[in-house]
Amino acid sequence: MGDFFTLSVLVATAASAIRLATPYLLASLGETIGQRSGVLNLGVDGVMLLSAFFSYWAVLETGNLWLAVLVGLVVGLAMGILYGVITVGLSATQGISGIGIFIFGLGLSDLLFRQQVGTPKPVRRLPNVDVPILSDIPHLGEALFQRNLLTYLAFLLVPATALLLSRTTFGLNIRSVGENPQAADSLGVSVERTRFVAILIGNSMAGLAGAALVLQLGIFQPNLTQGLGFIAVALVYFGAWRPAGVMGGALLYGLVNATVLQWKALGIIPVSGSDLANMAPAILTILALIALARRVHAPSALTKPFTRH
Amino acid sequence: MKRQRRLSPSILVMLGALAFAGVACGGGDAEEPAAPATTAAPTAVAAGPLRVAIVAPSASDDLAFSQSMVDSVNALERDVELSITDGTFIVEDAAAAIRGYAEDGNDVVIAHGTQFGASLMEIAPDFPDVTFVWGTASDTQGLDNVFAYAPAADEGGYVNGSIAASLTDSGVIGVVGPIEAGDAVAYINGFEAGALAGGASEVNITYTGSFGDVALAAEAAEAHLANDVDVLTGTAQMVVGAVGVATDAGVPWFGTQANQTSLAPDLVVASQVYHWEVVLEEMLALRDGGVLGGQAFEINLANGGLVIEFNDGFELPAGVRDAAEAMIEAITNGTVDTSNATPAVAAGPLRVAIVAPSASDDLAFSQSMVDSVNALERDVELSITDGTFIVEDAAAAIRGYAEDGNDVVIAHGTQFGASLMEIAPDFPDVTFVWGTASDTQGLDNVFAYAPAADEGGYVNGSIAASLTDSGVIGVVGPIEAGDAVAYINGFEAGALAGGASEVNITYTGSFGDVALAAEAAEAHLANDVDVLTGTAQMVVGAVGVATDAGVPWFGTQANQTSLAPDLVVASQVYHWEVVLEEMLALRDGGVLGGQAFEINLANGGLVIEFNDGFELPAGVRDAAEAMIEAITNGTVSTGS
Repeated sequence: MGDFFTLSVLVATAASAIRLATPYLLASLGETIGQRSGVLNLGVDGVMLLSAFFSYWAVLETGNLWLAVLVGLVVGLAMGILYGVITVGLSATQGISGIGIFIFGLGLSDLLFRQQVGTPKPVRRLPNVDVPILSDIPHLGEALFQRNLLTYLAFLLVPATALLLSRTTFGLNIRSVGENPQAADSLGVSVERTRFVAILIGNSMAGLAGAALVLQLGIFQPNLTQGLGFIAVALVYFGAWRPAGVMGGALLYGLVNATVLQWKALGIIPVSGSDLANMAPAILTILALIALARRVHAPSALTKPFTRH
Repeated sequence: MKRQRRLSPSILVMLGALAFAGVACGGGDAEEPAAPATTAAPTAVAAGPLRVAIVAPSASDDLAFSQSMVDSVNALERDVELSITDGTFIVEDAAAAIRGYAEDGNDVVIAHGTQFGASLMEIAPDFPDVTFVWGTASDTQGLDNVFAYAPAADEGGYVNGSIAASLTDSGVIGVVGPIEAGDAVAYINGFEAGALAGGASEVNITYTGSFGDVALAAEAAEAHLANDVDVLTGTAQMVVGAVGVATDAGVPWFGTQANQTSLAPDLVVASQVYHWEVVLEEMLALRDGGVLGGQAFEINLANGGLVIEFNDGFELPAGVRDAAEAMIEAITNGTVDTSNATPAVAAGPLRVAIVAPSASDDLAFSQSMVDSVNALERDVELSITDGTFIVEDAAAAIRGYAEDGNDVVIAHGTQFGASLMEIAPDFPDVTFVWGTASDTQGLDNVFAYAPAADEGGYVNGSIAASLTDSGVIGVVGPIEAGDAVAYINGFEAGALAGGASEVNITYTGSFGDVALAAEAAEAHLANDVDVLTGTAQMVVGAVGVATDAGVPWFGTQANQTSLAPDLVVASQVYHWEVVLEEMLALRDGGVLGGQAFEINLANGGLVIEFNDGFELPAGVRDAAEAMIEAITNGTVSTGS
């Protein structure tokens, strides 16, 4: 255990935690906005898969990483339009619709990968960018301020999302249609439009999450996310629908994963205990959810389609 | 003296769960790895009565399979304290019971059901001092504390069939079977052969598809009676329903597994009774000598494990019993062969289907099989379903391909074994090829295959040792199972033998999580690792990390050079076609399965493919070639 508490290993663990947390954070923040408007999207994983594939394909064909990021965002937006039409326009049940989006994304990304790529080919990864001055801070700078731009963006979006929800008219509208859509409607707020835009933002951020995942890895393969999108949805509950809480959950999840991996690498967790250790992040999340359960207040109209009376 | 007690399955499930939790928690504190069973000193025999537990799929008094074992243990000539959990038709319940009994300090735990094999493979290694007895099975799955047992049920079936032929007036005999698997199929085939050899004109066989559905068995018997059948037999615990029908119709009945005379005292002619105590005594004698397992046993007419018990309440025509006794003698002497004819082989191009868990071009496990089938030197029509990471999807694909008339269906994943056990018996003319697996689960139309992945791992490890400056090498694995663990253990052994000071191994717990594999590689790099390897399809993430860090990479399963043309040193490539050709040759000869194969360096199934784009230090490649030669010759042992 002593080997773990060395500066170099702790820095590496922190860096790993942040890398792992980035896709979760982007997807969870987007899902937070959607859920605060009363729309649950269980299709986040499918959106991420499609975005990840198209981002990968873009960089494979053009070599342009920023085009790949843009492609991921646009694919997320397109999926948002689809999901918005289904859930807001057609008032379909959100849970089943989300599962449909997930299966669609899983299947289509798989199909396209096989047809367009086949054997996995490595692509460029997002380069790390040093933040001036901050990256020179001993150890801390290496862990926190020598990351790629999408990671910085993800963490900057935490206060931005908090401000959007708490300090803007649009944020107030989002919260009101998520809590009491009938009242919001009576005050002239367009519930449908507000929810639709929230869905677009949420799915775009899921698209960014897919792009971040694939561009951090530099490779794609079928079902790349391995259920990451579902954990992102769970992290919204974990974070009590607040951006800071969501960030805490994403970091905790990433940190536990990173620590487990470091302990395995150092032999602190014996090979025979690997299976148990693999469950640690999920167990921790469940325990935290249980602990938080009484303090959590979900948006009152979450999952409920709006019908004007 | 026999003391007998029973635990309800639900209590045992809870005990098993608690036991599992205890073991799991304890695992984290373990400083030293447990000594392998192969090196353990013979275990001392416990004083006092021998504590034996039976886990059986049906009622312990079913007058069939489960009762045969209970009666046999009660017949042992030693002091036994017997515990029984019966009715465990759900495999998970049985697994919990097996683990619970082992935890509870029983000396011998009998897993009485072929279907418990997969669970036993997981449980037995955790209890090296316990003897597990498993059947019906023809091998011990390579475990040193497991004895296997199986009946030559076709022998008694043949005798029963020959007697039945002498009793039928219509010439038509009916058989009610459960699922076409295990000793049921052996008994029924033997019965059919004996009846036809004895002069019956027709033997109608109905597999109901269930071991437990008594109503279905009764209806199957009714259907036989409606089609001129005037003698009946059947096997498995559900036949009590068929015996009732036979009784009502006044039709003679032949039993098997246990003596079924009590079901119909006037109509049961004879029963083939399993006396497992014959082989149990041998197993226990071995245990007394410190040998806790590792051997397979068979009961048959010759060793007294199978006995034809006649019902004196049924009056046989003159001479029939004497003829039956003579038949038993002839089978015992080997004069009469009770084995069955082999199915004909289909003509035309060979239709082969592969069901694989990941993408067929994953540069890893799945691709290795697709490439191998494409390399076969015969006319093959190939179908592929890949990406079946959900076992139920794979099972549907396997069944679909079999129904679709494919000649060979390759279930390319250890995890598909349980499904295959259910599916393969339904398609006796189809050859199923399953791996990685070291045995065929007792199925006659299943070939198994496995790689000696430790061999190539050892070679890769020895080369890696010559490339490391820090002396620390990192390994990224998926789940600690199958060929992954063999490769990694072989790699570790080779690297340490080659001079590396440390080999750090990380099992990520996932075959598919690329991000986790990448982070595992990052973790290694943060801990002085300067050479990496890994196995399974998710390692593409780790190769990306190695590429960015400029760290050499060793591949396995398929040639991974294209992932990092400058950094992949060598790949151990699986050439399954070597053993596939052997399997297909056997199939051509009418043998549809029943054998296990291994690819290794010696038979050319494993090949170390060097990347010419990576410049090795002088002499390293020659040393590697010499190492391959030494492993092939057996001079170097790579076993971990």
